[in-house]
Amino acid sequence: MSVSEMSSKDRVTRLFKKEETDRVPCFSGMGNVTTTGLDELGYKFAQVHLDAKQMAETAVTTPKLFGFDSCVLPFDLCVEAEALGAVINTYPHSEDLLYPTIKEKVIKNEDEMEISVPEDLVGRGRVPLMHEAIGIAKKEAGGEIPVGSYVLGPFTLAGQIMELNDLLKLSFKKADKVGKLLEILSGVIVKVAKVYEDAGIDFITVREMGATSDVLSPRVFKNLILPHLQNIIKELNVPSVVHVCGKTNDIVGFMMESGADAISVDQKNDITETRKKLGNDALVFGNFDPYNVLVAGTPDLIREAITKCIDDGVSAVWPGCDIWPTVPPENFKAMIDTVKEHRR
Amino acid sequence: MATEERKKELLEKLKQAVIEYDEDTAKEGAQEVLDEGINANDAIFDGLVVGMQEVGKLFEAQEYFVPELLMCADALYAGLDILKPHVEQLDLGVKGSVVIGTVEGDVHDIGKNIVKMMFDVAGFEVYDLGRDVPLDQFVEEQIKTDSELVCLSAMMTTTMVGMQKVIDNLKAKNPNVKIMIGGAPVSKDIAEKWGADGYADDATNALSDAIKMIGSLKEMKDDAEGKNKE
Repeated sequence: MSVSEMSSKDRVTRLFKKEETDRVPCFSGMGNVTTTGLDELGYKFAQVHLDAKQMAETAVTTPKLFGFDSCVLPFDLCVEAEALGAVINTYPHSEDLLYPTIKEKVIKNEDEMEISVPEDLVGRGRVPLMHEAIGIAKKEAGGEIPVGSYVLGPFTLAGQIMELNDLLKLSFKKADKVGKLLEILSGVIVKVAKVYEDAGIDFITVREMGATSDVLSPRVFKNLILPHLQNIIKELNVPSVVHVCGKTNDIVGFMMESGADAISVDQKNDITETRKKLGNDALVFGNFDPYNVLVAGTPDLIREAITKCIDDGVSAVWPGCDIWPTVPPENFKAMIDTVKEHRR
Repeated sequence: MATEERKKELLEKLKQAVIEYDEDTAKEGAQEVLDEGINANDAIFDGLVVGMQEVGKLFEAQEYFVPELLMCADALYAGLDILKPHVEQLDLGVKGSVVIGTVEGDVHDIGKNIVKMMFDVAGFEVYDLGRDVPLDQFVEEQIKTDSELVCLSAMMTTTMVGMQKVIDNLKAKNPNVKIMIGGAPVSKDIAEKWGADGYADDATNALSDAIKMIGSLKEMKDDAEGKNKE
């Protein structure tokens, strides 16, 4: 195989193995559905979360239309919480793009934190639908495009199933109680991740954005959250990425200690500093602003931002969060063209 | 009537209670202020608010993070709830009412609650719509309450975009209304492009800006009372 013929899947597979690639991969482990893709299929955003076929077909539009190096599903952050009994809102009435949210929490007060995990967890909520959707996406991707999925990190999941206000205060006042909850949730996350692995995903991202240093001290990240991330990562069989958004420069070392194959950071991370800290060998994905650059920016601004990411030393060009769906096609093209034209 | 020395002692007690997120001491201090005939406004602005300003500094220095900030805010409210019924209305030049809420699709309300605290301290009439608020409701509430100010908050990129619609609708119905937007993904460019009057550009800044705004209210109070040392 000559290097110039690399498929997206080869490229991403080799990246995780730290082998040479024809160019810098440009992909994501977080949501990257576009309205262009939705319109092409005639699907409504509020509906695609609830239908395996629609979800899978929508997910593959981004690599197929734009040459992006991955397809990722689901698109929302509620799958695990829903399996635990939280009630979600998909905003079916809305004509706007609204991501599903939790409207009814599982834990309503501090005394309910020792939750019992349902025996049939992976048969509940949309977990079976996810299994089916990943299977369809694999077929649609045809071995050319890697299929990724994501689970929440334990702290972020805790914030989905109880009041974030309470969780944050308790993580300070009663860290042992929160620790116990995170342990239970880590088990939940592994079970869900296993379903995705069984369905055939090529890589997985653990999204622990609730633990950003904008909110929590690096010390709390290390003591309260990192041990659970490590427990999750060691159970995973496919390449893994740990993602935290916002301020991360003080915790990139801990993120790496999670045992994940790669870390993912957003535009607030100083990649040059991160490189200094982690060395040249570490896989660091990032870190362009998926709204202010990719959606609201001009192709010129995008070329500049993407070039900066690569020059700063990211291992893959990757957005700081979910791509906002209304990204103009010419902007997406400008990003991919920049990556293709870039010479290291 | 308490002596100047005793007053100073109690103001310090309120300040420390906020910094050390000690709700019980804040309550106790506030009650002592009332019992001993000390001015409630002074207790708020020279005690609780000074404490919160200190917290803002600790937050910026990354000694305090959001959990501490939330607990400090709880302590401030514990004192404020006792003092508020005894507050004389001050003319700070900024009075009135505000509609505040987190836009539909967003269930994060910590930033919003800290900003709300600022308005509570300042004696605004606050109409808090909560979180995940349908966009039309901001417009309806503004009209119903004739509020001068509307504050919209969004924590995530995925919900921020809805704010633009609210701004357009509000400005169309009432060109004089002032609109503040805030939240993690908001930038100055976005605020300008969408026609917002004020913005706070990320979680950290939104919180410390809100605290700084309380600080400037304190200065206005000092000015109004001619107490500035300069």
